[in-house]
Amino acid sequence: MRGTEWHAVNYDDKTVAGRDRSHYGYDGINVYGDEAATVIPAPTLPSDKVSRTGYNETDLTDNKVANTKIDLSLHIRPFGDEKLEVIVQSKFGYGNTVYQGANRYYLNNFFMQQHKIEFKGKNFFIRGYTTTEDGGNSYDMLFTGININRLAKSDTNWFTDYGNAYARSTLILGLQPSVAHAAARNFADFNISPAGLPTALVPNTDLNNPNAPRGTRFLPGTPEFKNAFAQVTNEASVLSGSKLVDNSRIYHSDANYNFKDVIKFAEIQVGGSYREYKLNSFGRIYTDANDPITYNEYGAYTQVMKKLMDDRLKLTGSLRYDKAQNFDGNYSPRLSVVYSGGQNKNHNFRGSFQTGFRNPSTQDQYIGFNVGSAILLGSAPDNLTRFVETRTINGAAVPTEGNSATISGLNAYNNSYTAASVARFSATGNAALLTKTTAGLVKPEEVKAIELGYRSFINKTSIDINGYYNIYNNFIGNLNVIAPLYGTAQDSPTPTNADLLLFPTDPGSKSVHALRTSNTRVFQLYTNTPLEIKSFGFGLGLSRKVYKDFEIGANYNYAEFAFDQSKDPSFEAGFNTPKHRVKASIGNEKLFPNFGFNVSGRWNSEYLWQSSFADGTIASATVIDAQLNYNLPSLKSTLKVGASNIGGKEYGQVLGAGLIGQQYFASWTINP
Amino acid sequence: MIKNFKWLLFASVAFVACTNEDEIAVDANSSDGQPLTAGSAVVTKYVALGDSYAAGFSDNALFIEGQKGSYANVIAQQFALTGGGEFKTPLMADNVGGLLLGGNVILGSRLYFNGSAPTPVSGSPSTEVATKLTGPFGNLGVPGAKSYHLVAPGYGNVAGVATGQANPYFVRFASSATTTVVADAVAQDPTFFSLWIGGNDVLGYATSGGSGRNQTGNFNPATYASNDITDPTVFANVYSSIVNTMTAKGAKGVVANLPYVTSLPYFTTVPFNPLSVSVLGGGNVAVGQGTVAALNTQLYGPLKQALTAFNAGDRINLLSATVSNPLLIVDESLPNLSAQLTAAFTPTLGVQTATFYGQVFGQARQATKDDLVVLVARSVIGAAPVGIPAPLNKFGITYPMQDKDVLTKAEIAEVKVATDAYNVTIKSIADAKGLAFVELKSVTDQLANGGIVYNNYNTTSAFVTGGMFSLDGVHPSPRGYAIIANLFTTAINAKFGANFKNKDVSLYRILYPASL
Repeated sequence: MRGTEWHAVNYDDKTVAGRDRSHYGYDGINVYGDEAATVIPAPTLPSDKVSRTGYNETDLTDNKVANTKIDLSLHIRPFGDEKLEVIVQSKFGYGNTVYQGANRYYLNNFFMQQHKIEFKGKNFFIRGYTTTEDGGNSYDMLFTGININRLAKSDTNWFTDYGNAYARSTLILGLQPSVAHAAARNFADFNISPAGLPTALVPNTDLNNPNAPRGTRFLPGTPEFKNAFAQVTNEASVLSGSKLVDNSRIYHSDANYNFKDVIKFAEIQVGGSYREYKLNSFGRIYTDANDPITYNEYGAYTQVMKKLMDDRLKLTGSLRYDKAQNFDGNYSPRLSVVYSGGQNKNHNFRGSFQTGFRNPSTQDQYIGFNVGSAILLGSAPDNLTRFVETRTINGAAVPTEGNSATISGLNAYNNSYTAASVARFSATGNAALLTKTTAGLVKPEEVKAIELGYRSFINKTSIDINGYYNIYNNFIGNLNVIAPLYGTAQDSPTPTNADLLLFPTDPGSKSVHALRTSNTRVFQLYTNTPLEIKSFGFGLGLSRKVYKDFEIGANYNYAEFAFDQSKDPSFEAGFNTPKHRVKASIGNEKLFPNFGFNVSGRWNSEYLWQSSFADGTIASATVIDAQLNYNLPSLKSTLKVGASNIGGKEYGQVLGAGLIGQQYFASWTINP
Repeated sequence: MIKNFKWLLFASVAFVACTNEDEIAVDANSSDGQPLTAGSAVVTKYVALGDSYAAGFSDNALFIEGQKGSYANVIAQQFALTGGGEFKTPLMADNVGGLLLGGNVILGSRLYFNGSAPTPVSGSPSTEVATKLTGPFGNLGVPGAKSYHLVAPGYGNVAGVATGQANPYFVRFASSATTTVVADAVAQDPTFFSLWIGGNDVLGYATSGGSGRNQTGNFNPATYASNDITDPTVFANVYSSIVNTMTAKGAKGVVANLPYVTSLPYFTTVPFNPLSVSVLGGGNVAVGQGTVAALNTQLYGPLKQALTAFNAGDRINLLSATVSNPLLIVDESLPNLSAQLTAAFTPTLGVQTATFYGQVFGQARQATKDDLVVLVARSVIGAAPVGIPAPLNKFGITYPMQDKDVLTKAEIAEVKVATDAYNVTIKSIADAKGLAFVELKSVTDQLANGGIVYNNYNTTSAFVTGGMFSLDGVHPSPRGYAIIANLFTTAINAKFGANFKNKDVSLYRILYPASL
């Protein structure tokens, strides 16, 4: 398969509505490199961050999508019957695509493979498989932008040049701030001294690092840009490159035995599974710079099913026990009832109650990923000490603290302020609003789910009604925290004015000093919210043949979730689902002989999108799709032409990804 | 059944229609999005009474762009958005600044920053004092005006300029030679006025290093000189009479209290102790160390020894080769030990030289952190006093800086006492008359003590770079004037229930360019 992905051209600022590149601190959603931002500690400059000039996503990827898949399998029945079958299977995948996670990635020539061996009999199976992937030339677009910029000019030189040019423009040339900012950016990007200075500015030479680049910005399309792009995307270290390296593997095995030939009273099954993870990203994604990380999970289950009342009533009960290396063991029972009423069993009622849990993912536990503005930090107990970083203490720091600080993941959990409280502090200057982070290490998410449904097909009309109510506890989410590089975080520290002007001595005041001087490290933690989150929803679907072979259908889905954000202001739920979705369709498979069509329209309400890449609102969208089929029995073929999103404007489903436009297709299927 | 399906389709269309968010009318000019209102203030006819700040003085001059950006003019721009009428300003003839009287330059052009120091712009002043402008004018700010000048007849009489009885800026737009500033204001039947006056009642004393007189106790301002401190009772009487006159027909208004002028960069820029070995050695530390040793042996040592004998040894300390040393200054509040020093030095220096030393050092001491060296004295440090022979030919090092160069601790106290008294008057009259009140003193304190962030720019009273003050160290920068205007409109909002929106001060430049 080959194609071009929708281009991601959302140039809104990530945090401030209405801001564009004319603002010194702009950080565009699909613009990379402008995440390199700092408060330039010099007179006349703003007291908030100035950002470097980024590159649009369209400059960093051609959005080409391609993939090739090969599946091979060998089935052997050594005894020639159903008692035993041995299956050996290998799958290979190869291709390119754009992928959005914490950042936006271009997976370029990635290669993944899965190998499986399975022994299967009439009443049992046992199988094991392993998957592994090779990122090929895949790269992270954020660091591609950041590091192409750094190849042209180091961050230190760039921000120094910006500060020098701004101060001179505003003081000597008397420029308005917006004009002075433009002149400063022009000098920092292109080494063009602001016009009219008595002495032309020359680009900074960093005394600590005299060989650091001090050249001009690479313009997309030029050979210099292409060279820089190639160099950066071929280098794994996030300090100078953006290549994704991940040779992680998963080994998985499971087994099941059905007692149906032994016990007749009810159908009883037992089974178990074992899974081992071997994380091997060379420190690029996980905290596995020194050695791969290995951990395992296993589980066992039994299920009993009994049919009653002429098979109209089916009762199923099951129990699972799971244990993951980093978490306590967990029992999860499930109970379900299905009843088929009516003469032809065409009134189907179903209901179930179950408890379940979700273990924190590999990322939730072991990620240690630098996205530039923050470190994404997983919270397996041993991960906190696996992440260690030395940061430079800049500017007018407390003299007793030295020039650098070494922090680990322990700082993020034990010595940090919630980002929400730091935002309130920044807005008001009131240190009493600061809140120390008290987040716990991530643990499994628990859910209690009740589901009820009814389905019937009577009189050419099919009806489907379903509803669910889920209660989540320990919902896994992200929490942004800000760790001061010195001092000790505490609730409502009380530095005196003198403390802030001079060098404070008590640990709480030191931490406030660190916040004020941007001597901080932002972490995005994986943690459980103490909130109880409830999600509930229902769906209604109707379809009916109305006239000859015309079939019309409509359905509506409602989804809602509820929790008290005020109890945990920093918590991001990431529900990412519209509240209302409506779909209606009309079609006829045999409008004329061999000719059919289908038209459908769908609409969803606007909804909040929350992710570690960006937060924002996804607008409501109305989408109309249509398709025509024509059968050619003589050629055993079906021709299809169709279009999606006819006459509609481009719409989004994921913040940061390309908007989806109109698509037209034609296909010819043989032996449909 | 079919009817129901139709209804469903119709319902889905209705959902689409609902998503067009209702546009809520928002007034972009108001602080709260509600329709802009001046509240209970009537701003149809606004007049501004005040001094150089009301006039828009900047960079040591009055010029067109500065006038347009004065706090009074920015307030008038705000008023114009909700019924404010024409606000006329007696604009200068150019953007060079300075004044001519009968063709002769009596005040020089404005300053710009050339990268190392404030420098006069090129071009000559072209604003002739004698050229009368036709009013009436809303902006009645008169650079240099003290409180009692606003009610002084003849303050706009061209004949009085040469003698100092009149003000050349007021001469340009006074309605007659005998009128007063307040009379010209009242004649316009204003519905609203701003009054910020009193800064000059202490400023001249302070900028001249306290070389004027503190007139507290003297109730006759006609006898005051320009560098004197106005008696607080005189100030109170004048202030009260101005406010009574302005409010007689029911006009509302806003007044502001006075900052300690000692927190202006004019006083806080030059350190009291600039004399490091590097400075003393002209950039060469080894030379400076030699100079320190020589000065201690030949001057500071003998001087301290002699003073110690008269229980005044704390006036002078030996110079240090490691930390920066204070300037040598004159403090007229000290007992004069000229005779004693002459006697002490006569055996070694001879009577003639000893008498000279006695005169020079009789009231000399080293400056402390409680003294303020004025901005213009920066160029005096190390310069040669006229007619003084070596080795005493270096101001601040071997010859004391004179009274006009330094505001001593005692003089600072006089300025603060007078300012505090004026401010008590301003606040009590504002409260009694129902006027909006602007607390400018505490804002100015904060600007000198870490700064205030306005629209993401930390603004301080640092000279040149702080963003609040212009290159004369006394008057605001363009951004500084916008900040002051915001403080005024904020006070008006609070008092009269208006909702003027603060100007975005990040759009205002902090210094003017060389050419405008």
